[in-house]
Amino acid sequence: MNDKDKKEYDVIIIGGGATGAGTARDCSMRGLSVLLLERFDYTSGATGRNHGLLHSGARYAVNDMESASECIKENMVLKKIASHCVEDTSGLFITLPEDDLSYQNKFIDSCLAAGIKAEAIDPKDAIRMEPSVNKSLQGAVVVPDGSVDPFRLTIANILDANAHGARTLVFHEVTGFIREQDRIVGVKVFDHKQKEQKSFYGKVIVNAAGIWGHHIAELAGVNISMYPAKGALLIFGHRVNNVVLNRCRKAGDADILVPGDMICVIGTTSSHVSYDEIDNMYVTSSEVELLLREGEKLAPSLSTTRILRAYAGVRPLVASDDDPTGRNISRGIVLLDHEQRDGLSGFITITGGKLMTYRLMAEWATDLVCKKLNNNKECETATTPLPGSRGVKEETEYSEVIPVNIQRTERYRHGELAAQIAKEDKFDHSLVCECENVTVGEVNYAFQELAADTLTALRRRTRIGMGTCQGELCACRAAGLLSHVHQCSNRAKEELSSFLNERWKGMYPIAWGDCLRESQLAAWIYNSVCGLSDYNRKEERKDAV
Amino acid sequence: MNLQQYNISENNFEQCIKCTVCTVYCPVIPVNPKYPGPKQAGPDGERFRLKDPDYFDVSLKYCLNCKRCEVACPSGVRIGDIIQMARIKYSHSRPKLRDRLLANTDFVGQLSTKVAPVVNFSLGLTPVKSVMDAVLGIDHRRTFPEYASQTFEHWFNQREIKKKQSAFKRHVSYFHGCYVNYNYPQLGKDLVKLMNAVGFGVHLLEKERCCGVALISNGLIEQARKQGAQNMAAIRKSVLDEKRPVIATSSTCVFTIRDEYPHLLGLDNSDIRQFTELATRFLYRLIERNEVKLVFKEDYKQKIVYHTPCHMEKLGWSVYSTSLLKMIPGVDFRMLPSQCCGIAGTYGFKSENYETSQGIGQSLFDDIGQSEADFVATDCETCKWQIEMSTFVPVMNPISILAEALDEEATMEANKEFCK
Amino acid sequence: MRYDVVIIGGGLSGLTCGIRLQEAGKNCAIISTGQSALHFSSGAFDFLNKLPDGTRVMHPLDAIKRLGGNHPYRKIGEEKIREYVADVQDWFGKSGIVLHGDVEKNHYCLSPIGIIKSAWLSFDDFEPLETADAFPYKRVAVANFAGFIDFYPRFIADALAEKGVECRIEILNIPAVEKLRTNPTEMRSANIARVFDSEAQLENVLTLINDLSEEVDAVILPAVLGLSSVYPLEYIRKYSEKPVFFISPVPPSVPGIRVQKRLQERFVELGGTFFLGDTVEKAFFDGDTVIGITTNNHSDIQFYAEQYVLASGSFFSKGIISRSNEIYEPVLNADVEYDSQRDNWFCKNVFDVQPYMSYGVKTDTGFHPLRDGVPVRNMFAIGSVLSGYNPLEEGCGSGVAILTALHVANTILISD
Repeated sequence: MNDKDKKEYDVIIIGGGATGAGTARDCSMRGLSVLLLERFDYTSGATGRNHGLLHSGARYAVNDMESASECIKENMVLKKIASHCVEDTSGLFITLPEDDLSYQNKFIDSCLAAGIKAEAIDPKDAIRMEPSVNKSLQGAVVVPDGSVDPFRLTIANILDANAHGARTLVFHEVTGFIREQDRIVGVKVFDHKQKEQKSFYGKVIVNAAGIWGHHIAELAGVNISMYPAKGALLIFGHRVNNVVLNRCRKAGDADILVPGDMICVIGTTSSHVSYDEIDNMYVTSSEVELLLREGEKLAPSLSTTRILRAYAGVRPLVASDDDPTGRNISRGIVLLDHEQRDGLSGFITITGGKLMTYRLMAEWATDLVCKKLNNNKECETATTPLPGSRGVKEETEYSEVIPVNIQRTERYRHGELAAQIAKEDKFDHSLVCECENVTVGEVNYAFQELAADTLTALRRRTRIGMGTCQGELCACRAAGLLSHVHQCSNRAKEELSSFLNERWKGMYPIAWGDCLRESQLAAWIYNSVCGLSDYNRKEERKDAV
Repeated sequence: MNLQQYNISENNFEQCIKCTVCTVYCPVIPVNPKYPGPKQAGPDGERFRLKDPDYFDVSLKYCLNCKRCEVACPSGVRIGDIIQMARIKYSHSRPKLRDRLLANTDFVGQLSTKVAPVVNFSLGLTPVKSVMDAVLGIDHRRTFPEYASQTFEHWFNQREIKKKQSAFKRHVSYFHGCYVNYNYPQLGKDLVKLMNAVGFGVHLLEKERCCGVALISNGLIEQARKQGAQNMAAIRKSVLDEKRPVIATSSTCVFTIRDEYPHLLGLDNSDIRQFTELATRFLYRLIERNEVKLVFKEDYKQKIVYHTPCHMEKLGWSVYSTSLLKMIPGVDFRMLPSQCCGIAGTYGFKSENYETSQGIGQSLFDDIGQSEADFVATDCETCKWQIEMSTFVPVMNPISILAEALDEEATMEANKEFCK
Repeated sequence: MRYDVVIIGGGLSGLTCGIRLQEAGKNCAIISTGQSALHFSSGAFDFLNKLPDGTRVMHPLDAIKRLGGNHPYRKIGEEKIREYVADVQDWFGKSGIVLHGDVEKNHYCLSPIGIIKSAWLSFDDFEPLETADAFPYKRVAVANFAGFIDFYPRFIADALAEKGVECRIEILNIPAVEKLRTNPTEMRSANIARVFDSEAQLENVLTLINDLSEEVDAVILPAVLGLSSVYPLEYIRKYSEKPVFFISPVPPSVPGIRVQKRLQERFVELGGTFFLGDTVEKAFFDGDTVIGITTNNHSDIQFYAEQYVLASGSFFSKGIISRSNEIYEPVLNADVEYDSQRDNWFCKNVFDVQPYMSYGVKTDTGFHPLRDGVPVRNMFAIGSVLSGYNPLEEGCGSGVAILTALHVANTILISD
């Protein structure tokens, strides 16, 4: 154990989702010494498996005024501090013939009461505003919805935390706590990369592990009853809509279609799952059918648009009653001071909430940490733009050496930080991922500056393998670059295998038509030409004939 | 159940499964690295353009619209159409004077025919060519097709020729195209001779405008759409009212009317599409059904190689032209490997494309140079200009070859039974 | 249009069948929607690498009897197969395709990511490895062209190092190749191959190879030479000071494209007609007999033939098409072998045996496709459109394509 690891941090944060990253940023901006521990990669939990909807709060306005007004406040904050992660698309709540039009008035009133700008427009204008919308709509309300990229948002928080001195470690899984009487003073950790046990010491430990926070609390000997609610979603091959589409009715299944980056997403379903399933969420064919059936009502052209993949996340809801749908539990923020609640000091839990309110959750958690540490510095995260959102000067000319579209995508993804991507050498602008315009330069930038050292992490940082071919063309190239970085091809082969398996997980539930053709081509390339299936089953080799 | 049945998109670009086969067959990539290639310019780029039209890339103009990517594609993606549609939908740049001149083949043709000797003479002069290159951007190394002093329409409308046509029992309309009208009326005359010999009266459309291929490639879409609509009205009158199918001798005109009208101009031609075709296909069908017979001169001896124009490759119709040529007993026939000659209509005339254009065609020119052929046969007039300029081997349309080899009297005799 | 035989599909199987028939004097047409899966070839034909139970196969002909009765090889029969493979190398040689290897015995080759794989007959570019554990040279330079991201020298070097080979990774700087890199995507293997159509560029690369071969016993290069002929390969082999080995980059595959071109040229030279870019829309029947087919390009001008061959490929080539709840064959609506529950088409682990890979058209023992259980009298199905085998798992895709094609061609010729 090196000296760094013996140090006592002011705060240790467990969980590398948006909340953990936001808390690390907030704490470090207030001058605390921070360690963040993530068991896999950043955004590998619910942060990376949601809709990517920048809620206006309208969806909650009728039933949950508190969540609604939190949403709209944070919506406006994020548009300012995370401009390179959000798109201000605006949203429509439409009433279809099967819906009750009288709900619209109640909806608008509730929105206005929560501080959400909501205006009914003529259905004809709604069609003009968003041509893909179901033409049989009876009513439409415009709200300030948008889309948000949770991967970029989280990494921007990590980058800023690092810039303020925070230490953040991925592939470090908390396996236990170090206690002194009724106080938690540190954590025991397994480092998955080095395959070794470590211990870290901190004055306050923040449990920001989302749904996995249930287990973390158990390790600390306290009980939080979490309610794992699975939500399944489908990604379509391109942007069918440029405005968020919602159903104007009591929130139900598959009633939001969000345009995000190059694609659009329909979701979600909601079903209770048992806690031991949360690490293996598979989308079932009945969920796919439900999502398609309902999705086509919002935008009929979805019925003829290629589906790229299906995925599911688990909402970290804190159970309050026995509602089987999970929808009546508040999406509200839950902050637990275990000293008060359970008599265990040095340990707090921040959970509940949603991606939209990650910053507010971080602020609450940090306020409590600061109170315990007698730090009275004010929170500045709502007014300080994140790295990447500090303004690309519009007048900055595009370089002539590189095709403009490549520079445009780089700026879209990384904001002003795109300037750090190597551009001098013509090899830097070779496209690794041709569907999403990811260059060698951007891949190397992600390897070096964005803590990406697995292919899946690289995908989250750059969108590699998230396009039409789902990695068929680019996975091998990315593995090649990774083997160069690590000077080792064995890890690259393992990475390539797990990357392809992770892509397949989202493809097989919707693998028919062109998706199945794509899958077969990918299987030929990776299993037949490259021999990866033999490699993955080497221990099964039987005797020869 | 209203469940998506196909996971196949009506958005044709989504049928691309990123196999990259198209990039192997694009003739531009090897000679012009500025061109993003069919995959990036087509289906890949379309996703970006749907997200934000600012992703339109001006380098799409380097696409020849040869459609060889479409022929190679195993997924049925209309890559060339996607690229051309993107230029139509997203390009902000207005066509230059040069492009307008090159595109307006019938307007320029009308003017030039009237003063043909002067125009032909001046277009051959070095100073004129230098000025055209400098001022207009039309490459000075290009030779221009000569303009005829009498248009085909003028010749046809002479009383005795036009009058003769109504004496036949069977009839077709002839879409002659600008090239036959202004530059090479002989091909039209050959067509009339051939069709008359097999017992068909030939008629012109009530009003024929340029098919618009050059207008489309030069971005003059509104004008192309207008002319397309006029042509379709004339074709409808011929096909639906007068019951006369429409035949043509230019593969490019036919391809434009049949496929580019609906795909790029949004003109619905479904009622007349199957009645608008190449003359060789029309004849082939009748010969196969035993409704037409061709008899050839016995002393006709020529060595002929056939070049497949890109649009013929896309139509898949070179089999008709070559089958007819192979019917001529004295023809020593060989098929050249199918590849682009590089001219692509007006593309090769532009100074910025000259090198690319000649680079693309080089191996074809070498092949023809070594073939010792008397003629190159091909169904496209711009291929003809390019090959004649680059190889000095004469190029003929199959219809002209058939007309030359035809034993006219014996053919008339043989077809008498069909004309009763 | 009238032909003796119309073949639907212009990949390895369709072309093999077409060439064999043309050689015997038949007049054939091949209709192909687009370019074939040979563009993604590994650079070798496989015959049988594994039995369905996972047992590895070294002597593929001897293993045929251990396959299930529905396997295409069993339908052909071991005796016939031995007869066909006896001269298969000479036969491909007539199309200008050199195949290395021994038809009786599988050999090994290195995959693009350095995994040792079994192969049956390797294309001219590749030298077969006799054993999986040794490499014939002690010191090797693995060279790549600067900027080419579809070839991964580190994978190859590490794989050879495991076999005790001393490896160096070298980068070749050739300006004409690097010029391709001014384009972000188009430095692909086929485009590099075009650069080496020029003699001057071949000399260039030869000089570089010879420069770096001083301290090594052999040089490894990505297989990107010779798109339309083997001349560039022969040139390098002839003039290089040390042996040069080629290893496939990831597709598109230059050796595969060359094989496709060679076969297509041979078919046309023999008088066959190849329709590229056309799709067969429908077959017309009189009872159990096909009387004609229509295509997209030729619409009312139908194709007529005595015999028809369905070589239209698997899902990739749209020989069979899947919807969310069914899989069908689009030309004649032949019976397709598949599971009616979509959940059963796949395994969750992408590297497990995927059932969908075995789906295809059902035939009788004579390869006549079935429609509602009844064989189509004058049609045969060959290659990857067939059911009854898993080409990836068993490593038998090319073998089935070639042998069913030869067998059906023979059946057609004998029936005369």
